[in-house]
Amino acid sequence: MIDVSAFNEALGIMFTSVGSWGWIVPGLIVGLVFSAIPGISITMAMAIVLPMSLYMDFFSAIVFLTSVYTGAGFGGSVPAILMNIPGSPSSFATTFDGYAMSQKGEHNEALGYALFASTLCGIAGYVLLLLVIEPLADIVLRIGPVEMFAVAIWGMMLLGSLGSTYISRGLLAAAFGILLGTVGMNTAGFTRGTLGLPVLLDGIAPIPAMIGLLAASQLLSLATRDYIIEAEGSREVSLRKILKGCWGTLKYPGVLLRGSIIGIIIGAVPGVGSSIGNLIAYAETKRTAKDSATFGKGNPKGVIAAESAVASGEGGSMATMLALGIPGGGATAILIAAFMMHNIVPGPSFIETQKPMVYAIILNNIVQAIVLLAVGIGFIYVASNIMKVRTRYVLPAILVIATLGTFAVTGEAAGPITLFVFALLGYALNRYQYPVSAVVVGILLGRMLETEFLRSYQLSGGNPLYVLERPGAMAIFAVMFISLAMTAWGKRKQNRAEAAEAEAMLRMQDEASHAHTPSKG
Amino acid sequence: MRIGRHSYDIDYGHLSLVTFIAAVVFWYLLDARSVSLSVNNLLLVQPVAIFALAMYLFILPQCFHRVDAREAAKSPTQKDPLHVTIPSERSDVMRMLALGVSLGLMVFLLDVIGFDIAIFLFSAAAMAICGERRPLRLLLFSLGVTLVTIYGFRALISYPMHTMLL
Repeated sequence: MIDVSAFNEALGIMFTSVGSWGWIVPGLIVGLVFSAIPGISITMAMAIVLPMSLYMDFFSAIVFLTSVYTGAGFGGSVPAILMNIPGSPSSFATTFDGYAMSQKGEHNEALGYALFASTLCGIAGYVLLLLVIEPLADIVLRIGPVEMFAVAIWGMMLLGSLGSTYISRGLLAAAFGILLGTVGMNTAGFTRGTLGLPVLLDGIAPIPAMIGLLAASQLLSLATRDYIIEAEGSREVSLRKILKGCWGTLKYPGVLLRGSIIGIIIGAVPGVGSSIGNLIAYAETKRTAKDSATFGKGNPKGVIAAESAVASGEGGSMATMLALGIPGGGATAILIAAFMMHNIVPGPSFIETQKPMVYAIILNNIVQAIVLLAVGIGFIYVASNIMKVRTRYVLPAILVIATLGTFAVTGEAAGPITLFVFALLGYALNRYQYPVSAVVVGILLGRMLETEFLRSYQLSGGNPLYVLERPGAMAIFAVMFISLAMTAWGKRKQNRAEAAEAEAMLRMQDEASHAHTPSKG
Repeated sequence: MRIGRHSYDIDYGHLSLVTFIAAVVFWYLLDARSVSLSVNNLLLVQPVAIFALAMYLFILPQCFHRVDAREAAKSPTQKDPLHVTIPSERSDVMRMLALGVSLGLMVFLLDVIGFDIAIFLFSAAAMAICGERRPLRLLLFSLGVTLVTIYGFRALISYPMHTMLL
C-alpha cells in the first residue's frame, strides 16, 4: 500500500515545483482541442507537443504531457456527442447515448454527464493507482494471451447490447466486421485479403473505417437539414444545463464505480487500453440496468459508463507504464519517450528508487482531473455553439476535417479512400437496418481476437483444458458467465412479473365488464 | 413475384447488399485458404466466414416479403434504438447523393489536383448542395476552410501534403 514518507516527500515536490503547475491548463487545452478533431488521436497530440517538453525540466515536462493526456481523454467525447463522430476509438461507446441525447436537444446535459464522469473517474483511477501501483504491476505481469483473448471476447459481448431489431443481421454485421479486422498479415505471417495492395498489409485502418461507417449516414443526412438540431429551442447552449448534467452524474454512483473498475483493469493491460474498456463498461451497465430498453435512445447512464471507463483507464495505463516501463498504448509510449529524453527509465527500479517522484506524478494527475472540470466546462460551452451554426457552414468544414484527419492517420490517400468506401458501406447498412456499431466493434477487435486466439492455441498446443491452468482467464470468463446468467435470471423475473401484471389487469377488466353487463331474464 | 398462391415483393436493394457482403466473405475465405490451409492461418477466419455465410442464408428470405404480410408489418425502425433514420424524400435523397458524390470526387482527386484545390471545390459544392446561393459567401467561406485546414494540418502532421497553390 501507500508509503507515507514517500507520500510526504511527493507533496514536497509538488509544492516546490509550483511553476510546473502552470503547464496544466495549456496541456489540457491542447489535449481537448486536438482530440476533438476526428482522426487526431491522443498519441498524435502528444507526439506533436513532445519536442516542446525537451526544453522543460523533468517534472514540468511530465506535468505538461500528462495534462495533454488527461484533456485528450475527455476531448474525444465532444464530437461523439455533438456529431456522432468519435474523436478516437475510446469515445466510440459515448456515441450510442450521447448522440441520441444530443438529437433530443439534451447536448448540454450529455456533455455535462460526460465531463463529470470523466473528472470523477479520472480522480478515482489515480487515487486507486496511488494505493495499488505495486500489486497492480504484479497482476499485469501475469496476463497472457488467454486472458487477453478473454478480454477481447468480453468486448465482443457488447454486441448483445446493441439491441438490433434483427438478430441475424446484427450477427452477420459482427462477423463481417471481425473478418474485415483480420485483413492483412496475421501474427503467424499469413497475408490475406489485401488485393495485392501494400497499404492493406497492416490491415484496414480502423479510425478512417470507423469515422466512415458511423459518421457517413449522419453527416450526409444533415445535408437535408438547416441545423444539426431542427428545433430552435433545443439548440441553446446553457451553462445551467451543463452544470445540471454534471450534478446529475452523482445520481449514478454504481455506474461510475463499475465503469472505473472496468476502466482501470482493462486500461492496465498493455496493448488493450481504453478502446475496449468503454465497450465493456457500456455493455455491463446496459446489461445490469433496469431500464436497459432505453439505452441507445439517450440514457445518461450510457454516457457515464463509457466516459468513466475511458477516464479511469488512463490511471490503469499509467500504472503499467510507471511500474513496469511497458506502454499500455501509444500515448503512454510517448510518455516513456519523454522520460527517456530526461535520462529516466520507468519500471520497477524507478518505482523503487524514485517513489516520491512517482507519487508526485500521480498526485499531479489528480490535480489535472480537478482542473479539467473548470477548463472542460469552458471548452464544451464553446464547442456546443456548433449547434447554432447552419449546416451549410458546419458540414463542409467537418467533412474536410474528417477527411484530413484520416489522412493524418495513414499519411497517404488510403485514409480518405477508406473513409469514403466505409461511408458508402455505412449508408447501405443503415438503410437496411444492419447495426453499423457491430461492424465497428468487429473491426476494432478482430485483429486482437485473432492474435490472442492464435497465441493461446500455440501455447496450449490445441488443448482447450489449458484454460484451467490460467486462473486469470477463468476469473474473466466466470465474471462474464455470472453476469450473463444474472441478467438472464433478472430478465426472466421481470418478464414473469410483467406477465402477472398483464394477467391481473386483464382479470380486472373482465370483472369490470361483467359488473357493467345488465343481467338478462 | 408469385410463388404458389402468394405474391411476394423483392427488396432488390437489401438483396444486393447482403449478397455483396456474402460474396466478399466467400472471396475472403477462398483467398485465405489459397494462402495456406494451416490452422495458424484459418483458426479464426474460417469459422467466422462459415458463420457469416450461414447468416446470409438465414437473412436471404427476409429480402422477400409477402405482399399482405408487408402491409401488416409494423415499422421496425420504431423499435431499433440505434437505427439511423435516413431521409426518404426524393429531393433529400438527391441532396445526400450529390454530397456523397462530391465527397468521393474530393477523396479521389486529393493527389491529382492537390489538396488545396480539391478542398476548395468540395467546400463550395457542399455549401451549394446544403442551400447556400450567395456567391461571395460561397467563395469566402470555402477559401477560409481551405486555408485553415491546409495550414492547420500542415502544422500538425509530418506527412507531405500535395498542393497546387498553397
